Amino acid sequence: MIKKRKIAQAEIPTSSMADIAFLLLLFFLVATVIDVDTGIGLTLPEYVEKPEEVVVDKSRMAAILINENGDVLVDGIPTSVFQIKNNLKPRIESKIELPSNKKLIISVKTDRKTTYNPYVQALDQIKLAYFEVRDEYSQGNYGSKFNDLALEEQDVVKDKIPIIISLAEPEAVKK
Amino acid sequence: MKFEKRRATTKQEIPTASMPDIVFMLLLFFMVTTTLREVEVLVDYKLPEAEAIEKIENKRLISYIWIGKDKRIQINDSIVKLEEVQTIMYSKRQDLPNVIVSLRIDRNSDMGLVTDIQQELRKAYCLRINYSTNIKI
Repeated sequence: MIKKRKIAQAEIPTSSMADIAFLLLLFFLVATVIDVDTGIGLTLPEYVEKPEEVVVDKSRMAAILINENGDVLVDGIPTSVFQIKNNLKPRIESKIELPSNKKLIISVKTDRKTTYNPYVQALDQIKLAYFEVRDEYSQGNYGSKFNDLALEEQDVVKDKIPIIISLAEPEAVKK
Repeated sequence: MKFEKRRATTKQEIPTASMPDIVFMLLLFFMVTTTLREVEVLVDYKLPEAEAIEKIENKRLISYIWIGKDKRIQINDSIVKLEEVQTIMYSKRQDLPNVIVSLRIDRNSDMGLVTDIQQELRKAYCLRINYSTNIKI
């Protein structure tokens, strides 16, 4: 007679798996840093030992000067920081249809003693002016905001309205 | 006559068998998205505020430079001198060719220092920079 053997079922207890998973989940939830880095992006020019002197047509230039007290000059006229945007917008708009070598160049110049905050405010205003012009141009030609356009359309708009910012070196005189 | 409450005979339980799966899925999501903070900020700084800001999509490309209220410069975990910035950043650029340098500069710093750092970055060929700012409400 053959005895029926009981086969012991080997099982791993899985009831606590959910707990373990929850614990890990909590750890990663707490450790995750979600805050995105935000800021004003720029691309610096390459470093050259002796920069060439390039003569630029005065009508292409918008010179922004910021002194150590945070006062702003736009093309020699005293302006408040928050007026820079309104000042630049019509000038950018007037150059949309011009060829790429006639677009507006914005030069930002500071003293060595200028604080960082007004400089960032001025850059912010410039960027805002460009973004608004781009948005309006996209709205008029493609019917939606710049950020919602297809990539090729964005390239066309970027080509029409390039952001050219020149950061002049501060004068060392007031060191 | 006996009254009986009419009750549905179906089970009134939420099936929990798939809960571990759901939890694991969430867990995986967070594991993949987490970038653990590796550096300790040694300088005290307050960022300026701006409106026209952009997000940096790729967190792994970012390399930070801090400038504190006391004009100290921090890269990675240590305070460095201005002259050292170029060599450190150049070696960083060799590891990550398209590195984005996020400048976390105190709002009351002098532009002279900021420009000096920018010159060092230009020499180190780290040309993509980002002035870190808070959003203005």
